[in-house]
Amino acid sequence: MPFLKKSPWILHYDGSSCNGCDIEVVACLTPLYDVERLGVVNTGNPKHADIFLITGSVNEQNRQVIHNLYEQMPDPKVVVAVGICAASGGIFSDCYNILGGANKVIPVDVFVPGCAARPEAIIDGVIASLQVLEDKRARLAAMSAGKEEFIVETAAVSDSAEILALQKLAYTNEAELYNDFSLSPLRQTLDELREDFETMTFLKAVMNGKIVGSVRAFALGDTCFVWRLIIHPLYEGLGIAQRLMDEIENRFTCHRFEAFTGTKTKRKIFFFQRRGYRIFASEQVSEKRGRVYLEKVRKAETNV
Amino acid sequence: MDLKAIAIVVSYIILAPVAGGLLAGIDRVISARMQARRGPPLLQPFYDVFKLFNKENLVVRRSQNFYIWFFLAFVIFTGALFFSGGDLLLVIFALTLSGMFFVLAGYKASSPYSFVASQRELIQMMAYEPMVLLCAVGMYMVTRSFYVSDIAFSHKPLIIYLPALFAGFVYILAIKLRKSPFDLSLSHHAHQELVQGMTTEFSGRALAMIEIAHWYENVFILGFVYLFVANNPLAGLAVVSAIYFFMILVDNTFARMKCRFALESSWAMALVLGLGNILVLFFIKR
Repeated sequence: MPFLKKSPWILHYDGSSCNGCDIEVVACLTPLYDVERLGVVNTGNPKHADIFLITGSVNEQNRQVIHNLYEQMPDPKVVVAVGICAASGGIFSDCYNILGGANKVIPVDVFVPGCAARPEAIIDGVIASLQVLEDKRARLAAMSAGKEEFIVETAAVSDSAEILALQKLAYTNEAELYNDFSLSPLRQTLDELREDFETMTFLKAVMNGKIVGSVRAFALGDTCFVWRLIIHPLYEGLGIAQRLMDEIENRFTCHRFEAFTGTKTKRKIFFFQRRGYRIFASEQVSEKRGRVYLEKVRKAETNV
Repeated sequence: MDLKAIAIVVSYIILAPVAGGLLAGIDRVISARMQARRGPPLLQPFYDVFKLFNKENLVVRRSQNFYIWFFLAFVIFTGALFFSGGDLLLVIFALTLSGMFFVLAGYKASSPYSFVASQRELIQMMAYEPMVLLCAVGMYMVTRSFYVSDIAFSHKPLIIYLPALFAGFVYILAIKLRKSPFDLSLSHHAHQELVQGMTTEFSGRALAMIEIAHWYENVFILGFVYLFVANNPLAGLAVVSAIYFFMILVDNTFARMKCRFALESSWAMALVLGLGNILVLFFIKR
């Protein structure tokens, strides 16, 4: 149903904005732009909101606040980052207390450029986010109707604990294979995993509100490194890994993709080979276990 | 209960939310025009409620939604009793009971915002209750019946007999319709103090149900206003529309008053206008 698009209720949060963007956000409510004609209401209550409009960069003081507000919003919800500070930290990005854009803490769906963003641009951004909102609703509805079994989306730092638990579960099998429990995924701490969010893109596959699969990737030069493709042991064979990898290869425009796995994890190697990856190197990490490195070079014509 | 009463109750249950939603839409459009804005489409309240049914229903405690069910049920019961011509006193008590369930829901959510709003709501209920009861007493004195059907078809212009009571009722209408200066516990205007009052912790379906309950409530309250001019249906509709427009105007003109002022002024109104009118009526009719 299209009602979500007709009544977007907005929660506006001022990160460490200089108030330039905030004034423009408020200008949208004035008689000149009057966003209420589009059904927009500025709620100020996360539990009533559909769209999280965030201005300004994230700093050490408000990261928890932003995270809390996001968690308190009922699904489906979208995040619109207004202004260059909310996108990357802007001119404040070098400050000692600034973490960067809003996407350092929560997954952002729409970025509105500008310093300060014009009211027209903000309204355009909100309208663009409505399609995302409707897509999310459709996916949630499909999942609750049993048509779609899982959802792949960007993970947020708040998912760290759940992803870490899944990681330990998934890698236990591999550790048993080598009888070596010193694997780095098993030893990773929560703080280390949280730090990974600074540099990597995390994807999660969610089934009935539970994370059943995850993968992380980062680009270095023209190569995208895919790390720790993990699937809950009980949910293997449902195509979760395929969808996660599809999403990674969609999101990164890199020319070359690189992944590695243990020599004995034949299924994982086979999985990557079927996706067009080939082994280009192998290495003995310790007495007990070895690693194979796989790569996939994207053909020039597929690179849009 | 005869067949006619059943038909009225069924049509009330079906049509009241439609009318209430349209009233809310008219309210928003007129408010926007008063502020030199274009305003949302007329059907915006319906879009909002249908959307809320598509949203996740987050709760602090599961039982908070339980109270909302009762709130809605008793608001519908109040209106159904009123429009089928039931006892006016019972109608008022049912209205109070529905309000109590809403307050309990606000308390149950145990958020500081809804807590403060619930306390304010209780004070507001204390503020408007005497006036509503005095209205019923005044109507009884003119028509010699507490039954809405008898009052409505008494062919007596109640507003002529009870002008001061009517004025007092309009005064507390701002509390019941949740309009400034008395929208202390819950405001329909976004982004005001105390976040969203008693609805702070409600989302999704529960919030939609609160909204629908307000639609039912508003239709009932305007029905109560109509009762004063029920002898002439055309004039009655005109008075109800005028009063509704007046409330929107007041809403857009006034700032919010303090809770204490709401209580003191409504009791003063009840004492002077309500009791005064009844005393005058008592001596005239003797």
